[in-house]
Amino acid sequence: MKSFLKGLINVKNWKKKTKVTWIIVLVVIAVCIVLSALKPSEADMKAMASEEMQAMIKADEGSSRKRVTVTYNSLIIVNYCSFSTSGAKEVTEKYVGFVGHAFQADEGFGKFAGQMVNYTYRMLGCGENLLHGAKLTLLLTTLSTAIGVVLGTLLALGKISKNKVLSKVCGGYIFFFRGTPLLIQLFVIYYSVPAIFGFAWRDLFAVGDTQAVYKGAFIAALIAYGLNSGAYCAEIVRAAIQSIEKGQHEAAKALGLSYSKTMRLIIIPQSVRRMVPPLCNEFIMMIKDASMVFAISLMDITTISKNIMTSEISYIVFLPALIIYLIITAFFTWIFNAIEKKFSLYE
Amino acid sequence: MDNFEYILETEHVSKNFGSLSVLKDINLKVKKGEVICIIGPSGAGKSTYLRSLNQLEKISSGKIFIKGDLFLHREKDHTVERIDKKTQQKLLLEMGMCFQRFNLFPHKTVLENICLAPIEVKHEDKETVKKEAMELLKKVGLAEKANEFPNRLSGGQQQRVAIARALAMKPEIMLFDEPTSALDPELVGDVLQVMKDLANDGMTMLVVTHEMGFAKEVADRVLFMADGIIAEEGTPDHIFNHPENPRTQSFLRSILNV
Repeated sequence: MKSFLKGLINVKNWKKKTKVTWIIVLVVIAVCIVLSALKPSEADMKAMASEEMQAMIKADEGSSRKRVTVTYNSLIIVNYCSFSTSGAKEVTEKYVGFVGHAFQADEGFGKFAGQMVNYTYRMLGCGENLLHGAKLTLLLTTLSTAIGVVLGTLLALGKISKNKVLSKVCGGYIFFFRGTPLLIQLFVIYYSVPAIFGFAWRDLFAVGDTQAVYKGAFIAALIAYGLNSGAYCAEIVRAAIQSIEKGQHEAAKALGLSYSKTMRLIIIPQSVRRMVPPLCNEFIMMIKDASMVFAISLMDITTISKNIMTSEISYIVFLPALIIYLIITAFFTWIFNAIEKKFSLYE
Repeated sequence: MDNFEYILETEHVSKNFGSLSVLKDINLKVKKGEVICIIGPSGAGKSTYLRSLNQLEKISSGKIFIKGDLFLHREKDHTVERIDKKTQQKLLLEMGMCFQRFNLFPHKTVLENICLAPIEVKHEDKETVKKEAMELLKKVGLAEKANEFPNRLSGGQQQRVAIARALAMKPEIMLFDEPTSALDPELVGDVLQVMKDLANDGMTMLVVTHEMGFAKEVADRVLFMADGIIAEEGTPDHIFNHPENPRTQSFLRSILNV
């Protein structure tokens, strides 16, 4: 780990490609910083509304029933502001702010850009709690893969152990979770298990907690995804362990190392490198599989985009969803590739 | 402590793979300091015999004694003497082994390879082990490679590290399973030299080998194995110059005419 960090900091030893990548990343960040400094402020955007709208907003102040809904979204370099009235006469005004200017966004390209900013903002879960949008996807994926790796290692060791009962139990577990659809597993954990044992997932949290339903659903999803991921990780770990040459076991045995020490010091450290590529794959599969939580009403990227589609009858809403998923997976692929390279030192 | 006649003794050792009988009733007595070379055609059971000595292969029946103590006993009808696990482990550590394919641990440096077992199995002091390991590396002529990874070394160097690794456990018997068979011809010499030095230091050695020159020069006794039995045994002079068994004769003729 220490040498890994050292390698990161030691710029002289970097390859040209790494340097170029970092220069590009830094330039993009610098441009974003400049553009975000140049974009109109929130007050500027809110001042964009027409006189008629301004009058209505002013009238709303002090009254308990608001007629105008003001939405303001900011997405690093772009921001978006919309004013809409409810009631007999519906009027909406939309504006997109970019590099010191605010553009009308009621039709044409402006409308498209405004929608994109607004949808992306909502899908990322900006301004909402932790269990919202992309944050939910990332949290669920990371935690459940972590559970999966730990569980999978234990299952793999169980499956290849000489104890026949243990081996059969672990094999059966893997067979069950790989042989049934994840969505049904999710339903079973979320609906059937509480029904059988007479509890509700939201009971895990305090009575007054308004988010209890979501938190409960999140726990259920975490269990379902963790158990499922465990089965897949187990096969990855088992294959990696069994791909280590028999000679390594023999050498360790001839030196008098016990089975557990052989596994811990010789076999598993060597198999870790072979696990990295398929585990990366598993993690990325998990990011995409996490979209199934829409079935238990957790507010992830997929659920939000589906909600936007039905409420606003906007069919382009899935484009930003795709892009968000793509950016997340690209980011993790990049990280995993770096890890893989570091592990290939001795092979 | 040292009141044993033979350092290694096998009685009626047999091994079957299913219905195929690989070792048939092998009896051998080895004195301390003896160097024994085992030669024979492939499939004769040479490696299997060597590997069954330190439990890498399970024997079907027979007894193995190490330093006069019973190390392994197995009978087909399972009427066996129970052997204390601790004694068995202690006796196992009296044997060091070198493999055809070296089997160094690729994720550890040369020094770590050598230090691993003394630290993890014998729980010896790390600094002492390191010092001893460096001395062993000097002995095999690889002190400057201590911090390299095994894949940076040539086959001959790897095998010498493997020998040092086995020696670090201070065994009384060294088992060599075709130590030079996977090496390029020009690398064989260094490894054989290390083994000769070891023999001169009085190490008890069992060597499965195809290096007839080595066997002639170093061995005290040569065993010729064929079809799971020791077909002939004797001094190198006897085996190589006056073989009696027709199988030995034909084997030697075939390899010396290459």
